[in-house]
Amino acid sequence: MRQLINALLKYKNTLLYLGLLIISLIFLNHRSFYHQSIFSRTGLALSSKFNRTVQNVSSYLDLAYTNEKLIAENVKLKALELMHFTEQTPKDRTIDSFPFKVLGARIIKNSYNLARNYLIIDQGYTDGIETEMGVISSDGVVGIVNQVTAEFSSVISILHRDLKINAGFKKNGAYGSLSWQGKHPKRMKLNDVSTLNPVMVGDTIVTGGMSDYFPYGIPIGKVFSFQKPELEGYYDIDIELFSNLTQKDFVYILKNIKKDQLNQLKNESR
Amino acid sequence: MNRDNLILIFRFLLLLFLQAFLLNNINFFGFINPNLYLLFIIVYRLDGNPTLLIVLGFVMGLLLDLLTQGSGGQTIAALTISFLRPYIIRFSFGVNYDVPMGMIKGSLLTQRLLYLSLMVVIHNLVLCSVIYFSFDNTITILKNTLFTSLFTFILIYISLGLFKNK
Repeated sequence: MRQLINALLKYKNTLLYLGLLIISLIFLNHRSFYHQSIFSRTGLALSSKFNRTVQNVSSYLDLAYTNEKLIAENVKLKALELMHFTEQTPKDRTIDSFPFKVLGARIIKNSYNLARNYLIIDQGYTDGIETEMGVISSDGVVGIVNQVTAEFSSVISILHRDLKINAGFKKNGAYGSLSWQGKHPKRMKLNDVSTLNPVMVGDTIVTGGMSDYFPYGIPIGKVFSFQKPELEGYYDIDIELFSNLTQKDFVYILKNIKKDQLNQLKNESR
Repeated sequence: MNRDNLILIFRFLLLLFLQAFLLNNINFFGFINPNLYLLFIIVYRLDGNPTLLIVLGFVMGLLLDLLTQGSGGQTIAALTISFLRPYIIRFSFGVNYDVPMGMIKGSLLTQRLLYLSLMVVIHNLVLCSVIYFSFDNTITILKNTLFTSLFTFILIYISLGLFKNK
């Protein structure tokens, strides 16, 4: 004990310096956006390297289960493909003009127990990932790419209190904005749906085509419960998600090929 | 001892306000601002408490950043140079330095110049590195360090001469 105190006294200047240095770095981080972004990018790069190692081990142990899931998804896709060939309705024949390119990635860090959750995936700008790309999984929406390094990207999860996603009803196209309340990882709220539209428990909710991130019609969840206000106004709708965001391994990143044109159009019409 | 403390506080405030309100607005050649407040750390008693100097350097840099809306570079630079000062003194004056009244008397001119220039250059190097904080700007950092150090060094040398005459 005495030796410990002696050692502390001997290095008190160095310790004081390091302590004050940390305080000044925090001060720097708070005052300058430039330094903040550099710090967070470095942090992202470091933590992703570490998490990738952990994830490599655990994904190896999970291989059998992953295979099962991939087969299930393949079956589903096969079914869709067959449907596509048989139906040939004009609405289904849009694959050529479909403005999204799909890239695959593995999740190496996933959080779902905070108020503002982020994921980290193992693809970065060298793989063609850019910020503000939509991210989906085999059975629903996952989030939007937020920050990109050479090999990794961080994704704002839809389980993030400040993120709002354009979503609507599959049956009639009535749309609103989907947000997470921060309580349960399978429950979200759909706001701004006018009471002019009929709503039933069990109605399917899909992504609306109003945003640049996601194409129209990706299934998100179904109506769990809703309240209608006494007068005219907007519904208060609770949604149960189809996908379980607490156990995801693979995601698909949607690259909007025609985003430049969209942005140009938006700027011109402003 | 009491009088020494008063002088210390007076010098601290004088240099702080001089730096914040006058010297940071010079913008010589567009980007050169001499950091005269370094004088406070340079003329701090050689046998003074180094722990106190670290705290004072930190407070000085922090107040300067707050007064000039700086991002935090002055804090880190002043703190670092206060911490490094004993090592710089040992390096420039030799191991058994024994000059209680500071560097004014009793040391060789070359030693004094070495001490001064090391303090100034290291301080400005840390300052510029923190402000630019990127490897892509290494040339800019070195250029800024060189010119600012030169200007600061001249100003500090003149000020030291003024103090000596008094």
